[in-house]
Amino acid sequence: MTVGLVNIGMGNLGSLSSALEKLSIPYKSCKTARDFSEINKIILPGVGNFDTFMVNLKKRKIDKVILDLIKKDIPILGICLGFQILFEGSEEGNKSKGLSLLRGNFKNFKNRIKNLNVPHTGWNQCKIVNDNKLFKNIKNNSDFYFTHSYFLRDNLESIVMTKTDYSFQFVSSVSYENLYGVQFHPEKSQHNGLQLIKNFYEVC
Amino acid sequence: MLKKRLIITLTFLDGVLFRTKKFKPDYRYTKNFIDLFSIDELILIDISKKKFSPNFLEIINYFSKNCFVPICVGGGIKELTHADNYFQIGADKVLIGTSLINEKNVVGQMVNKYGSQAIIQSIDIKKKDRKYALYSNSGRKLEKIDPLTAIEEATNNKVGEILINNIDLDGSLLGYDIEIINKLKTKANCPLLALGGAGNWQHFTDLFFKTDISAVCTQNIFHFTEESIISAKKFLKNKKINIRI
Repeated sequence: MTVGLVNIGMGNLGSLSSALEKLSIPYKSCKTARDFSEINKIILPGVGNFDTFMVNLKKRKIDKVILDLIKKDIPILGICLGFQILFEGSEEGNKSKGLSLLRGNFKNFKNRIKNLNVPHTGWNQCKIVNDNKLFKNIKNNSDFYFTHSYFLRDNLESIVMTKTDYSFQFVSSVSYENLYGVQFHPEKSQHNGLQLIKNFYEVC
Repeated sequence: MLKKRLIITLTFLDGVLFRTKKFKPDYRYTKNFIDLFSIDELILIDISKKKFSPNFLEIINYFSKNCFVPICVGGGIKELTHADNYFQIGADKVLIGTSLINEKNVVGQMVNKYGSQAIIQSIDIKKKDRKYALYSNSGRKLEKIDPLTAIEEATNNKVGEILINNIDLDGSLLGYDIEIINKLKTKANCPLLALGGAGNWQHFTDLFFKTDISAVCTQNIFHFTEESIISAKKFLKNKKINIRI
């Protein structure tokens, strides 16, 4: 079983590759649409800007491939911006829409709460709202590493796995059928993060 | 709730781990005994004359393969391609020097390519005529703008975090300068990190209680004791600091 690691040349994939290697999970770096043959699971990491990310994804026609594979029940794990683009849109992306697989829009922390440091950066707890196999062997309120300026707070209770508190509660992870998304960086979250990646590979 | 962070800063001279004092290499370590699984974050800085050498890049690669926490890398970044070097080998963030505050285009390119969260702006300060002034080039060049303006400029450049690097206190073990950190925090709306002065664990507690700092950075104190980072964190937890154990 091979994980396809989506690589559109933005940001650092080194840490994710290191995590997969540490866990002895076979993976393939997917840079073009063609690279996705014989892929059983997809990890969609993302850093950078919402618009730029969507433009790059479309330019390589990877958006279509991902949508096709999701229809074929291939599990996908979106991380950070890769989680955000599973939804409809973000205040950061005024030109591009997301993949719209899930309903919801991301908003900027800035100007919503006074004296709040933006980006939300550091270790914060994930409170489990709906238990899910992705969090197997991970304790409730475990710490994960976050770094993001946009958040989701829409009313999506049924798909929410965890919530996190940063002046208010926002959605820190979701799951719906074969779609999984986490706002934090499991590849930067030591034991808990490695366990989550292992769970995605083994039981999701 | 968001935890306070304890960040270990390591400086390297020609690929060898060094401690520094007032920004100059002071003492060479023969052993590298970093407790990789209890630190919150790591900052690696190259203080060699020749930057981007294979031996420093190899160090970044080593940490990126072995410790699953965010790694920030600094030293010699003047343009985008320099930052690319560090990101490609495993950096999650880069630390950019004081001189880049005025290079809006360069910082803008980095922010566009890697996102704000990947850029930490260093603000290097030391006292001149009893007042803090801004310095670049490893503390050698006095800059025209003052530290408060520097924070405003860095904020306009959309960097993700700002590191206050106190040159006078580097390696001093005298504790952080709380007054200047509080003053600078009034102009920053992103997370602020402090480096320079930690001599014991109580210094961390003081800083967390008296300022709105997001993280304390330390270069030296763990090397003077046998005790590990986890003991420092337990100490902070006992003092009711919200820290990850």
